[in-house]
Amino acid sequence: MHSKPKVFWIDAVGCNGCSHSFFNYGEIKELLDKIELLYHPLLPSKEFKVQRSDILIIEGALKTTYFPRLDFNLVDLIFELIKLSKKVIVVGTCSVYGGIFGEGVLFNKKKEGKFFEFKEKMIALPGCPPHPEWIAYVIEMLIENKNILMDKENRPKEIYSYTSHMGCIRNEYFEWKIDVLEFGTKEGCLFYDQGCQGPFTHSSCNRILWNEINSKPRAGTPCFGCTEKEFPKKNLFKTETFMGIPANIPLGVGKRAYLTIAGIAKSLKNERLSKRLINEDN
Amino acid sequence: MSKEEKKLEIMKTALNLFAKNGFYTTTIADIAKEMGMSVGNMYNYFHSKESLAKELLIYTSKIFGDEIRKINDMNISSKEKIKKIVELYFNMAKEEPELVDYFMRVYLSNKEIFSNGCEGMLCVSAFVTEIMIFFEEGVRKKELKNQDFFAAFGLFMGYIGGLAFLFREGILGKDLDEYIKPVSENIYNALKA
Amino acid sequence: MKITKKIVTKIEGEATLKLYKKDFLIEFAEIEFWQYRGMEEYLKNRAYMDACVINPRICGICGHSHLIATSKAIENALDIKIGNKAKILREITLGLEIIQNHIKWFYLTLYPSVKEINYFKALEFSKEISKIIALIAGQFPHNSYAIPGGVTCDLTNLEIIKVKNSLSKMFDRYQEIMSVDGKSLDLEELFSDIPKSIGKSLNRFLILGNNLYFKSNGNAEFVKEEDSISLNKNVLYKDKFYEVGPLARNLENDLIKKVYEKYQDSIYTRIFARLYEVNLIFEYLLKIVDEMDINEKNYIKPIKKNGKGIGVIEAPRGSLIHKIEIEDEKIKSYNIIVPTQFNLSNGTKDKLSPAQASLIGEYEQQSDLIFKCFDICAVCVSH
Repeated sequence: MHSKPKVFWIDAVGCNGCSHSFFNYGEIKELLDKIELLYHPLLPSKEFKVQRSDILIIEGALKTTYFPRLDFNLVDLIFELIKLSKKVIVVGTCSVYGGIFGEGVLFNKKKEGKFFEFKEKMIALPGCPPHPEWIAYVIEMLIENKNILMDKENRPKEIYSYTSHMGCIRNEYFEWKIDVLEFGTKEGCLFYDQGCQGPFTHSSCNRILWNEINSKPRAGTPCFGCTEKEFPKKNLFKTETFMGIPANIPLGVGKRAYLTIAGIAKSLKNERLSKRLINEDN
Repeated sequence: MSKEEKKLEIMKTALNLFAKNGFYTTTIADIAKEMGMSVGNMYNYFHSKESLAKELLIYTSKIFGDEIRKINDMNISSKEKIKKIVELYFNMAKEEPELVDYFMRVYLSNKEIFSNGCEGMLCVSAFVTEIMIFFEEGVRKKELKNQDFFAAFGLFMGYIGGLAFLFREGILGKDLDEYIKPVSENIYNALKA
Repeated sequence: MKITKKIVTKIEGEATLKLYKKDFLIEFAEIEFWQYRGMEEYLKNRAYMDACVINPRICGICGHSHLIATSKAIENALDIKIGNKAKILREITLGLEIIQNHIKWFYLTLYPSVKEINYFKALEFSKEISKIIALIAGQFPHNSYAIPGGVTCDLTNLEIIKVKNSLSKMFDRYQEIMSVDGKSLDLEELFSDIPKSIGKSLNRFLILGNNLYFKSNGNAEFVKEEDSISLNKNVLYKDKFYEVGPLARNLENDLIKKVYEKYQDSIYTRIFARLYEVNLIFEYLLKIVDEMDINEKNYIKPIKKNGKGIGVIEAPRGSLIHKIEIEDEKIKSYNIIVPTQFNLSNGTKDKLSPAQASLIGEYEQQSDLIFKCFDICAVCVSH
């Protein structure tokens, strides 16, 4: 890609949230200056037609019963665009796994998706929405022709090797197994009762902060695992437990080891963290 | 004899004395005497009766934990596992009554001894962890009803502990073995999905 | 009679405009949305709390309004009263969503359909606005911090000070786009070759929400949906079509009223009201941010498990209605009516919707602009 790479951004069935997330990228002008934007559903761009591209960005899920665009039904249109592109960035959980609205381009939840055969040229960026920095990162890496290290599901390792738990300001409460007694408190970990999926969700939400300033768990909202193939699971504000024991435990640790360390931590009460962090008496 | 083996022997002796004479009346000197050791030499192994009591608890918990883990690793149903756990516990109650006695009476009724360093589940973690795994997998496989952990734990452990207690008191009319089947069934019926 | 079919792009989603013309002028128009995502069905049988995660995903630009409407509907169903602090925080984040929406709409949707503009200043501005929302709500888009019973966050004075200063800074910066005395160079530039009085509509306005400084002039009970030629349903109030949105809800403001008196409900007034509303929201938010008691509880746990409720708010594009029926903490039924449905219904020649009415008698060349002045959200319509 020597001259400005041609980028085509197609919106399938979704909410435009990936685009609006991308608009929050601080250096969007600098980034767009480096590419030739063939089409984007919201940004001023060239003509909307089936054409060759260096980078195809697909936002949204696939649905077969959909109104024709450019005289193609949606799935066929995406197929044509993929064939004519060198690299495909599959942006957002809808596009990667299907999410709320349909089937994914690369996967259909846990199974292979309609365009799995093109996996080799695809880079998956799940997230509902994905972080603007993630989208910018992949575009920049492709512009510079750099190698993106990817995992088995074609997610860039530099983003998805983290869990959203990493960097959460409630980590100390997690360590000492102190749960949030009710919503709306700065104290406590949301993993035990409120449904937080942070410890087993691949994303760097607490490393690269949202809107450069915050994250859901920091604001007292559980992580809903929106980067994962089963998003959205059911009962999102309640931790799934089997006999009171979390059904999903932190990635990479055995159940026995986790329960042992959890039991010990809970037994050794942390006095400081057991009361309100800020109040008039302490 | 290695130091670890010696420690183990002291603990077993202490177990016997606790069971025979009671936890409070038994002193470090009594244990040393029974072992044929000097009190000074005992200090090389345990600094106090409390520290001995704690290690003993960890030791007992580990014995139970290791045995339940074997059951957990078996490819059998939760119903069968319940029976195996009951069997294990009753056999222990018969063959090593001091051990079960210690676990039941000394630990549960003298919690103040364990308040420093054995809080909560700390010293019984090996045992409790395996029970947790047993419950968790039972629910995951949809064989057991999903409920509060302690509601299930109390039902299971309180029940078999109570039977072991009645057995030790000589109140049971029949042998403990004869209770394995009905007790297991009752537990299963109470916990099943 | 000539009929042309146009696909309107660069709105939130896409729509088809079927124009019936005579002597180059539009005689009648039909509007078609061709998407349907089945959100209401998707929600059924889920825990009602799940709606706080799913509903923001109805829309990437105004999803926060859907969150607030969801929580209000559930609170109404389960008889929950939220605290004043939670209420103020919701007003701030919702108000800010409206602001980021309007600025993106003006520079990304509307302006480029007429002439070129440096839209990066709009993105820079909306990015900063989103940041204030995120400071309170965790992230933007797609947070779920407003839950039935209050909010999930527990701010300290550090955040509140930052919110306040950021509001002042952005309000100040907005003066270059549209000043409090109604001056906007970009707006005048946009109209340098376009008549200001085109696109007049029904001159009938409806406000159903009572959030921010808006005062409702109707009751959502009288809103009815009916099938239309398009996939989306028509929305009527007491059997009539009404215009909703910034023009409808700001006619009490002296400046907007003056413009309205001069140009009636034309595209210029519609755009002016939308741009000027940002100033009014900033003023309002700066007032209420000081009324918060930081020691107040952020959340009150719901007790009831059954009920029927409605949540009505003024969202970026107008009145938004969510209705829920909860049975044993699960969603039995859900109904969403979005502002674009009000404005872009498909009426008949003798009973036109606001968007249809605005096109009649105008040139086809201007249909795109007139149409886009309603700030169409096809994404929301296709819920």
